[in-house]
Amino acid sequence: MISLILLNGGVGARARTAGPKQFVKINGVPIVVYSLKAADEVAEITEIVLNFPPGHRDTLEALVRDYAIQTPVKYADAGQTRQQSVALLLDQVTNDDVLLHESARPIVTADDFRTLINSDHANVGFMREISFTVAPVDPDTSRVTGSLERSRLRNVQLPQKFNLDDLRRGHEFASASGTHYTEDATMCADAGIDVFFVEGSEHNLKVTTPGDVNLATMLLRREGDENV
Amino acid sequence: MSKTALITGASKGIGLETAHRLAASDLDITTVILMARQSDDFDANYAALEAEVGDGVTLVRSIVDVGDRDALIVAIGELYEAHGTIHYLVNNAGYTNPVPIHQVDFADFERTMAVNVYAPFTLVQELLHLGNRFDVIVNIASTAGINGRSGWLTYSASKAAVINMSEVMRDELKIYGTRVVCLSPGRTATALRRVLAPEEDPSTIMQPQHVAQVIETMLGPTGQYVDQQNVIVRQ
Repeated sequence: MISLILLNGGVGARARTAGPKQFVKINGVPIVVYSLKAADEVAEITEIVLNFPPGHRDTLEALVRDYAIQTPVKYADAGQTRQQSVALLLDQVTNDDVLLHESARPIVTADDFRTLINSDHANVGFMREISFTVAPVDPDTSRVTGSLERSRLRNVQLPQKFNLDDLRRGHEFASASGTHYTEDATMCADAGIDVFFVEGSEHNLKVTTPGDVNLATMLLRREGDENV
Repeated sequence: MSKTALITGASKGIGLETAHRLAASDLDITTVILMARQSDDFDANYAALEAEVGDGVTLVRSIVDVGDRDALIVAIGELYEAHGTIHYLVNNAGYTNPVPIHQVDFADFERTMAVNVYAPFTLVQELLHLGNRFDVIVNIASTAGINGRSGWLTYSASKAAVINMSEVMRDELKIYGTRVVCLSPGRTATALRRVLAPEEDPSTIMQPQHVAQVIETMLGPTGQYVDQQNVIVRQ
């Protein structure tokens, strides 16, 4: 039995949408529904803990009801940062292991969750090779400061799976060291916890811009065609 | 795996013929629910079907006027509780009272929309809210929904709505792997056709069993290759 933490509290600053990006529609369906529906198909997921943008709990509860999500859903307030949001969500978890996902990644499948659940590793997430070169720079002086070896870098995707105690330790480490992390796998790795990756999919798009909405719509329509 | 099929307008015509075919099909259907208003035809035709079906198939009768939304919602809840998942839904019930625009009684227009549009919508939405996962939904539209025809304003408008509603359902329900089929039969020898064209000799046009045969095909594996748009069935 495992809990799904679904990050859903961002306010859509980058997507430049009229409302919170969780309610952006992909192919006419609110984006958060895709993750909820995929999780609902996985028997091992016995609870979903999700947060909501301020003032939007009712909207989210209505979606959970209208789409007949059978898995019990708990709600948590969104934090000021992603890291703080995860910490608030962790307080609601009752299982020893958690899956971590974000609603801005609608092209997730039940099999993606199962791949992580079935992994022998306690802490594991989807990552993807990067097809471009990344340079370390000093943004203040616009100076390139060295080089990075592409083959030893990965694009961090979601979902991820963590042992709850390990993830809590990762967050304690981040708080104690005063370091701000934008995701949890590297946070836990910095805390000295073993974290592994499995190969992700190039389709695992994070919807952050209006162009991404169009791209995700196209990808989901095509996947739907293939599935039926 | 045993499947359940629900057919509306099942007391006669295309709905009844569809029930006959599905009760004898190789689609693993073990429960066939016939939904229609109370009528002598329904009594007689249901009894005849009961006498005909094999041991492996359970017939269920749901007596409700699908145009009565409140009653329909109650019936759907009871059926879902008693029989569980509806895998195949055939939205076949239809109503028409063809008159020119000058003579359209608004209440009758509302009745047409209630039976032809709001009933299939309500069946699908209520079942989704209950957590039902459909394999295939077949919405019966009409060629009269593709091209409007003088004297058939209310019927043509309602069937055009069914065609477009089906396209939206097809897109939105893809996330469940549900196929949504929209069938538009042309002239078919049904009671409804007799209202639309009372002078016509029914033996000269397409028969309900022909449409039922296409419905069965669309529900089965072959259907997935031809369900991407409104499917026209005509002689």
